[in-house]
Amino acid sequence: MDLLAGVISVVVCLIGAGLAIAMGAVIPGIERKVQARIQQRIGPPILTPGFWSWLKFAYKWPIKPWATIPRFYESIIALGVVIVIFALLITLPPFWGVLGVASILGIAGLLKLEELIYVLAGSVSQSFLSVPFLRHDLAKGGTKLGFRREYFEQQAAFRALKMAAICSIPLYIALAVPFAVAKSPFIADVISIQNPAFFLGGILPLPSKPIFLTVPGFIATIVYFAGYVMLLNEKPFNIVKPKVDLIEGVFLEYAAKYRTYMYMLIHIFTFVLSSIFVTLFLGIPLDPTKPALLALHLALTLPLPVLKAVLAAFSPVLTFRQLYPASMGFTALAAFSLVLALIL
Amino acid sequence: MTEEQPRESVIVEKELPLGPVHPALLEPFRVRFFVNDEIVEDCEVILSMPHRGIERILEGLPVERALLITERVCGICSNSHAWNSVRVIEKGLNIEVPPRALFIRVIAQELQRIASHLIFIGHAMEVVGHETFAMRAFLLREEYMDMLYFIGGNRVHPAVPVIGGVRPRCEISDSLKRVILETLERSERKLRNYVGRVVADPLVMGRLTGVGYLSKEDAIRLHAVGPTARASGVEWDWRMEMFEYKPFTYDYVILYEGDNKARVIARALEIFECIKIVRQALKDLPEGPVVNRDWSPQRMKFTDSYNEAPRGELYHSYSLDDYGKLRHYKIRTPTITSIHSVEFAAKGDHVTDAVVTIASCDPCLACCNRVEIIDEKSGRRRQFTSMIEVIKKYGWRR
Repeated sequence: MDLLAGVISVVVCLIGAGLAIAMGAVIPGIERKVQARIQQRIGPPILTPGFWSWLKFAYKWPIKPWATIPRFYESIIALGVVIVIFALLITLPPFWGVLGVASILGIAGLLKLEELIYVLAGSVSQSFLSVPFLRHDLAKGGTKLGFRREYFEQQAAFRALKMAAICSIPLYIALAVPFAVAKSPFIADVISIQNPAFFLGGILPLPSKPIFLTVPGFIATIVYFAGYVMLLNEKPFNIVKPKVDLIEGVFLEYAAKYRTYMYMLIHIFTFVLSSIFVTLFLGIPLDPTKPALLALHLALTLPLPVLKAVLAAFSPVLTFRQLYPASMGFTALAAFSLVLALIL
Repeated sequence: MTEEQPRESVIVEKELPLGPVHPALLEPFRVRFFVNDEIVEDCEVILSMPHRGIERILEGLPVERALLITERVCGICSNSHAWNSVRVIEKGLNIEVPPRALFIRVIAQELQRIASHLIFIGHAMEVVGHETFAMRAFLLREEYMDMLYFIGGNRVHPAVPVIGGVRPRCEISDSLKRVILETLERSERKLRNYVGRVVADPLVMGRLTGVGYLSKEDAIRLHAVGPTARASGVEWDWRMEMFEYKPFTYDYVILYEGDNKARVIARALEIFECIKIVRQALKDLPEGPVVNRDWSPQRMKFTDSYNEAPRGELYHSYSLDDYGKLRHYKIRTPTITSIHSVEFAAKGDHVTDAVVTIASCDPCLACCNRVEIIDEKSGRRRQFTSMIEVIKKYGWRR
């Protein structure tokens, strides 16, 4: 019996990982379509920015990135993909029995690790775009010589560190709100107070008291959305990779199959953060054993990326001059919602 | 002019070089930011990447043929170059231009100015990171490009001015006049809506306000021209001096804030003044011929002409030899003078904001590059505006 349960758990986890990859292949296309419609364009076909771009880069001539620790730089992006998929898997019911992992600690720890991936990838990368031209500058009349030249990726890593240290704080506080409402650090308890029917079985167990519909939950949702955009480095919080100076930021040097990993990382991460939101704030977990609930969960993961696309279409890139006050404001809001969640 | 105060020495931690191949720099030039943390302490713009040797190509060509090439100096303000090059010979040989041709030249120039300013606004929004506003600006520009196409037969190089007037195909008929007026009416409404939304957007204005400050004194000292200078309170526009613009009533847009926001808004407001001029020109378009063919190429002493191109003061000068061949052509475009003022203005801002400041002078590099020679021994450098200056200084070497 234990063996059967173990096999079912593994199958559920594999289906969960497959769904994350499948949704990651579709969501960027939906985002691009929304942005394009706002900008009075047709936009690309739905599968092009996700699925087809993954395939396209996977079959490109393998170019090795230029980095100080090449193996590390090549493998860290694949590690990032594994981390985001694992962050999703710990929210799946089979993991709820593994205490300490299926909790706020597990989610926050993996998300923080994901942020560190940006810092580490950028620190060791050295794009040819930023450093050469020493003689060229001299020949063209450059008068200032002898300064240390910074690589774009390393500058981006510097910014990623600032983002990880300051700008992602609101997300983690907002993430704590459902756990504060449940008065427990475990995901199972967060689901049980919102959706007791889930544990009783049934085809479509809907939540009776979603945290999203409470005052602290609603405030935390707003903050979570801001943190979601910050963590994904999307406009207006994409100072880590603004096209105007650092181009692609920490991922600039990834090409061919490494670029596929990079896109997979970003696209799957978009879905995973949405899925975590639906699980924790709406009380609808991703459970492949309940197809109706699964379909509802997947449908509810779409509004956040669509809202992100709308925000990106109407926003410029903000610099740290605006980001620090914005981060402080969202932190205060998140702290307020956390206090409300503990009091009410 | 104020005396330059000695600057306090600052620690420069590192250099962040951008370009010459970079998505933010639409044309090949190189910007070197010397930063401390992420604040720009110093900045150096290196030009001379796409030198094309236009003046050298023009040397010795028959004047009518040569003036076809001058339009190719720039793809955005092509009409300014074509017009200014014919103004030189018209001034030098006292060629009379029919009034109808003068009006058509003004119409083409102002339509192209609007198209150029919309490119700038689109580019500025792109550099700020607002894609939707950028794309909307380029969409609005299409109508003006279409109008240029209706007049000249081409969108980018309409080739309206010729020596003594305008090309006969650029004649504006009554039906074309009606089409242009209706299009202006429609597009002006859209533009007002667009500019209103840009100005009302707190995020965009937050990125532009108070960034890249250039005082009036610095703008004059560093030879800023055109809307870049006018956004810092410099009350100068070459159209004030041009007799072609005397029949029209319009305002000069002078702003005093001197920041990136002022440089964007100055151009946006100028668009409405341009529309005003085009309307008046179409309404009062005189009857008569559009070109005066009663002239012949002959010796002409060195003559110059200034024009207010979309980016500011444009200078063309040349002489003709006994056979009507062009000699000593010199061009000075507005970018070469304005770029150094924004290089100065970029100091003290975040790197990402500094890129917006560099873009805020609307740099057009392909037309501004001239020969530059650096003496390795003394370290002295000099920019030459024509081949003849190079030959005079260094001699002819085959």
